[in-house]
Amino acid sequence: MKKIIISVLALGFLFSCGDLDELNDNPKKAADAPAGTLFANAQKNLADILTSANVNRGIWRLLAQQWAETTYNDESVYDIATRNIPQNVWGILYRDVLKDLETSRTNVLAVDPLFIDETVRQNQIQLIEIMEVYAWTVVVNIYGPIPYSSPTYSGGQALDIENPSPKYEKAEDIYKDLLTRLDAAMTKLDADKDNFGDYDLLYKGDYDSWIKFGNSLKLKMGMILADVPAFNSKAIVEAAAPHVFTSNDDNALIRYKDTPPNTNPVWVDLIQSGRHDFVAANTIVDVVVALEDPRTPVWFTEVDTSSEEGVEKFVYWGGIYGNKNSYSKFSHPGDAIIDPTQAGVFMDYTEVEFYLAEAVERGYNVGGDAETHYNNAITSSMNYWGVDQADIDTYLDRPDVAYATADGNYKEKIGTQKWIAMYNRGYEAWTEWRRLDYPVLVAPDLALTDIPLRFPYPVNEQTLNTANYNTALSLLPGGVDKVSTRIFWDVPQ
Amino acid sequence: MRRILQLCLTAVCVVAFYASYAQDRTITGRITSADDGSPLPGVNVVVKGTTNGTVTDVNGKYTITAPAGSTLIFSFIGLKTQEIAIGERSALDVPMGQDAQQLSEVLVTAQGIEKTKNELAYSAQKVDGSAVSQTRDNNFVNALSGKLAGVQITRPNSMGGSTNVVIRGNKSLTGNNQALFVVDGVPIDNSNTNTTDQASGRGGYDYGNAAADINPDDIESINVLKGAAASALYGSRASNGVVIITTKKGRGTKGLGVTFNGGVNVGTVDKSTFIKYQNKYGQGYGNYYEDPSGFFLSRDVDGDGVRDLVTPTSEDASWGAPFDPTKQVYLWDAFDPASPYYKKSHPFVAAKNDPSKMFQHSVQQSYSVMLDGSSEKGYYKLGYSTNRETGIMPNSTLKKDFVNFGSSYKLTDKLTATASVNFSNIRGNGRYGTGYNDTNLMTNFRQWWATTTDIKDQEAAYFRNHKNITWNWADPDETKPIYWDNPYFTRWENYEDDNRLRYFGYTSLNYKLTSWIDVTGRISLDTYSEFQEERQALGSVTTSQYSRFNRRFKEYNYDLMVNFNKELNENFTIKGIVGANVRRTHIESINASTNGGLVVDRYYAIENTKNPIIAPTEIESDLGVDGIYANASIGYKNMLYLDLTGRRDQASSLPKANNTYYYPSTSLSFVFSELMKDATWLNNGKFRINYAEVGNTAPAQSLKDVYDKPTAFGTVTLFSAQSTKNNPNLKPERTKSFETGFEMSFIEDRVGFDVTYYKQNTVDQIVPAAVSNASGYDKKFINAGEVRNQGFEVTLYAVPVQIGAFSWKVNVNWTRNRNMVLSLAPGINALQLNTFQNGVNIDAAVGSPYGVIRGTDYVYNDKGQRMIDDSDPENNANYGHYLKSAASNVIVGNVNPDWIGGVQNTFKYKSLSLSFLIDTKHGGSVYSLDMAYGLSGGLYPETAGLNQMGNPLRNSLAQGGGWIYDGVLSDGTKNNIVVDVSAQNGYGAFGTDYNPTRAFVYDASFVKLREVVFSYSLPQSIVARMAPFKGIDVSLVGRNLWIIHKNLPYADPEDGLGSGNATNGFQSGAYPNVRNMGFNVRFKF
Repeated sequence: MKKIIISVLALGFLFSCGDLDELNDNPKKAADAPAGTLFANAQKNLADILTSANVNRGIWRLLAQQWAETTYNDESVYDIATRNIPQNVWGILYRDVLKDLETSRTNVLAVDPLFIDETVRQNQIQLIEIMEVYAWTVVVNIYGPIPYSSPTYSGGQALDIENPSPKYEKAEDIYKDLLTRLDAAMTKLDADKDNFGDYDLLYKGDYDSWIKFGNSLKLKMGMILADVPAFNSKAIVEAAAPHVFTSNDDNALIRYKDTPPNTNPVWVDLIQSGRHDFVAANTIVDVVVALEDPRTPVWFTEVDTSSEEGVEKFVYWGGIYGNKNSYSKFSHPGDAIIDPTQAGVFMDYTEVEFYLAEAVERGYNVGGDAETHYNNAITSSMNYWGVDQADIDTYLDRPDVAYATADGNYKEKIGTQKWIAMYNRGYEAWTEWRRLDYPVLVAPDLALTDIPLRFPYPVNEQTLNTANYNTALSLLPGGVDKVSTRIFWDVPQ
Repeated sequence: MRRILQLCLTAVCVVAFYASYAQDRTITGRITSADDGSPLPGVNVVVKGTTNGTVTDVNGKYTITAPAGSTLIFSFIGLKTQEIAIGERSALDVPMGQDAQQLSEVLVTAQGIEKTKNELAYSAQKVDGSAVSQTRDNNFVNALSGKLAGVQITRPNSMGGSTNVVIRGNKSLTGNNQALFVVDGVPIDNSNTNTTDQASGRGGYDYGNAAADINPDDIESINVLKGAAASALYGSRASNGVVIITTKKGRGTKGLGVTFNGGVNVGTVDKSTFIKYQNKYGQGYGNYYEDPSGFFLSRDVDGDGVRDLVTPTSEDASWGAPFDPTKQVYLWDAFDPASPYYKKSHPFVAAKNDPSKMFQHSVQQSYSVMLDGSSEKGYYKLGYSTNRETGIMPNSTLKKDFVNFGSSYKLTDKLTATASVNFSNIRGNGRYGTGYNDTNLMTNFRQWWATTTDIKDQEAAYFRNHKNITWNWADPDETKPIYWDNPYFTRWENYEDDNRLRYFGYTSLNYKLTSWIDVTGRISLDTYSEFQEERQALGSVTTSQYSRFNRRFKEYNYDLMVNFNKELNENFTIKGIVGANVRRTHIESINASTNGGLVVDRYYAIENTKNPIIAPTEIESDLGVDGIYANASIGYKNMLYLDLTGRRDQASSLPKANNTYYYPSTSLSFVFSELMKDATWLNNGKFRINYAEVGNTAPAQSLKDVYDKPTAFGTVTLFSAQSTKNNPNLKPERTKSFETGFEMSFIEDRVGFDVTYYKQNTVDQIVPAAVSNASGYDKKFINAGEVRNQGFEVTLYAVPVQIGAFSWKVNVNWTRNRNMVLSLAPGINALQLNTFQNGVNIDAAVGSPYGVIRGTDYVYNDKGQRMIDDSDPENNANYGHYLKSAASNVIVGNVNPDWIGGVQNTFKYKSLSLSFLIDTKHGGSVYSLDMAYGLSGGLYPETAGLNQMGNPLRNSLAQGGGWIYDGVLSDGTKNNIVVDVSAQNGYGAFGTDYNPTRAFVYDASFVKLREVVFSYSLPQSIVARMAPFKGIDVSLVGRNLWIIHKNLPYADPEDGLGSGNATNGFQSGAYPNVRNMGFNVRFKF
């Protein structure tokens, strides 16, 4: 009998002898990850949010009045609170982009010197730096003053979980630090050694491309700061201009795949979803139709207006921006836009040429004349969308397009054409509209607010980071956290 | 249990046998049931003060020799013991009645320790197994609703959905708050595998809670231990209270006993819990379509060269044209080539058959057979039960099979071996979709419907060719679904199926070391494997998909227990336990799905993926807890009992430095009636008080950081930092619990009550606290926060009438729990428990009860009146509508009820019994997305009635239409602004767009006639002549028959998203209440 008891006892305690600690490991999750994988993931996440047409986050095309909504017109009338859009965008930028870049940096630095060439390590850090600079400008351009951190900025508290309630920094200070970081990164980047190689989704680690991208980014930042006296915009732009993109081949973009989950996000929201939420907005369709823009058939579908006209007639017709629109009545985004492999663009040659045209107009010494840059910009955009050269020439010769004869001052000329050219880059179109104030866009009748000039801070910041949020208000012009509050570079003219 | 007790009693009789006097006389008699006069076999008859005893025979007859002038004691478990002096009698017939409140009743407490009621120093409540087996609810847990004080049971209306069981309030902020289930000492996993999307009302299926795998036919009794003092011996998981289930141990029949049970149950939808539709206006969101009126598309459908009116098929709302039977309009079926209405129009009227016609009767059949037997060496039982249910939705079935085997055998006088094996096989097919999702037709019917759609026509259209012929074409020229599938296509093509195979049981050896110490070693196992597959057919509104989920759960418990029980002297007794428990839990799962669609129609396998599949999600997690514990209960003169417990746990999920924690409990029970034996009116009186602490560990894998792995971008591998920061410095959380209670019974136990007050604080909670995203994370695991639950529980019973064989018994229980979040992490005053659609959150906010609904509110003036926006009439789209609060996190509701209670009345006459249970929840709020969206979309009659001027509200202002919202203007006067709510502006006017969250928060109170049971046992006198039967019981059962009172329109306030934290309090696509009626027959032979 005792044998039985003893064996039961023995059996029981046999099982209890295992090390409790080991039980808590997670065998199905990686405890370590190569730095490049995090870098690539950050690039993809950033491309996704800038390209997205999702009503919960990527409402850029609506803010730029390039698309209109059908049944649910909430975002078109600037209800951005119901779907918590400022919260969602903020979360993606900090958590899915900046945190992965930051972790990538940590992991680069953690690699044992035995397994990495120091120059390669430094090159990887520089690529992370340039990507971070780009990402931070996006956050600032959307919100203004934000929590920030960088290796060269003292006191920044962002991206540090030991300090889960970070304080906000002045947007100007952030821009200043970003410019320093960008210069340093380009200087330190070594042409002769590898960096991230294939983990770099933009250029596969090509040195020359990164230098061009860095300088184009610097040009862009310089132009964004053009109306802010505290910065020497002219010097920044002139330093960068000789090294920027020179053709569409230089474009910084991610080529999406044709299979989920790596398709262009627009395909996900418009095609995969099977929904009919968007039509082209009259705001842009009226403009491109009036200009007989050869990009129109690429960007929009034709619609049969026979129900209105009584006879079959196919035209480009935009839904009224801000209204509820009947999907069947209006033009939709064209095949190229809904192509799953359509690229997600960070920066392109078109944008760069528009900046150069503007720089010339502002008296910066960047070479060439405004008209040439302007024509180059339009031409490269049309090239990108596959327009024939003959059609491009016809377009450029139109008196309402030609730089010499088109309406308005340089801001209006450049603003209008840039807004058209940025048709599939809603975030950029919205940002440049805020800066140049052209074309003239008006809030729709049903709008709850004026056209947003920024996003208010997320509700979570108010509840989870209350003290710093309240301090941040003093950094905003007028001390109010509203959509009508201007970002520091958006100087009323 | 009864059997064991009987054996014990008999044993006592035998051991203490004395020789009797010479002047013995022989007494004979017959013992009958006071209820129905039937003979009672097996009644113990003992001469008082001796061990001289006998038992009655099959006819209830006995013969005993006893000294003249002695007293006979008649006892039988469950009946009131009687002592009768024989005097000079030689014959003594005794009718025996039921014991209303058995104070000698034995309850099974933590770790299987048996205690009498007097010994208990904490609150525990017992429910007889028949209370759950008789009512035949598919999930036995549901049958407990309203029967236990302190226990809140919330059941969803979906077939086989998970039931929420919370005892004494939610204690853990984000951890598990469900009661622990223990079957014969084996802890049973009661988790559900529902996704976070499901729990937050965004779709998915409710696969039920795992405790539903317990066979109701095998339940002998259920004891509920509510407070930490009662349950501390179970360790970490016990702070949520424990439901202890004792299975049947054989009836004590010598040889073979057979019980057969069969029941059929039919359910009907309760119309008061489903939407009613307005029948005046058709499909559309307004008047901005193609024809000149704007209400219709304008196409030449019949090819006669003239444009026809076509309803805007893509629109899932009913703000369309007014119905007009003289108007001919083409509907969805004009574009279905198989339809008799192909290219044909209909008169423009409301559909004859609304979606309520889709519901069918649910039918549930259950059969069980149990074999059992026992001898002086032990017992055995073998049971098989099967349960077949078809739900109210087409193509829904739920099948359950149970096999239970248990046996105990005395190997020697001292050594007993016991084993139990339970097997269950649960198969679901076509469980109802839940939440806001196209698989949940309630979302479709309640929120997004076109009143022109005839559900019977949709049925015919689907069955003609099994294609997705939907009312919701993207366009007449693009006949694919845009938002909703044909509802029958949804049910028959986009269905899930699932299977859970489970084994649980134990083997144990008990060795009687001495007369007062025995040692038990036990190994128990609970393991199941689960398989779920979900389908979206080709042609569905969403991307076609097949996904499968496999999960395996294993929990081993190794127990070694030394029980002792000794009378130290005539005043003092001591009993207790010293034990060790080793617990190992292992969970693994894999979830795979096709990518980007299916290729071959109706072929459901991962390999039928259109694009290369995304790596399946794998989870593997272990948890180990090693515990040692001791308990001693010291009794003094059956009057004072002091109970002391200590336990030490060591857990794998805490950092090494903090992974060992100790916790104590102490309880005192004072049976003051022992001091008042002269007070004949008082049967029993007891006062009890206790204090306990229970430590709890962290969820597994919350210490070390790992990486997420997004799908590779082409050939480029991606990794991402996790969004929740783990914490290597966590320490155990702790629940501190105080309880005191008072119980008395009077007038021969005809009246009694039990009142308990409790207070529990859970501190140092381990929570993934939300942090500013600017930190790079969503959440971080921390120890923070304190939640307090305090409340009263009252149970009352009375036998107001007992005349002869007729009795009327009343049982009342009442619970009032007050719950408060005392603190959260430093600097944080709210924690989101669940984030729902439409800006609705359920939060734990400091200073508020756990589970407040937050969103926007009205704006009120000084007098508390709702204010209307009367600013800027020209340029203000909101003019005449309510002002909404600027803040979107105003507390607009509280999901916790003020009190819950149940009243059960039982009438008995002989072997006829009728009982009914009224179950009440008072207070608590629920947000209805069904109302918020359905009112927006113009589905409900409220959106199509008359306005304050007596005109149709949807008329234009010129025609006297419009609506005046109930509120005041900025100057304080009553609102007089007439807002245009005609088709052009109507969408959203009554729904979510123009009204704050508060507008759709309803009082979730209800009074329900939960249960009616009419039962009849054939009298023994008849049964005795019907060999081989030994008993026949027939019962008629009704469940959820009538919602006597509720304040939530068109829905059942109890319906929720299933078990889990903050899953009640939000309704989206709520299922109607189902009234069940059935009968049940039980044969014993």
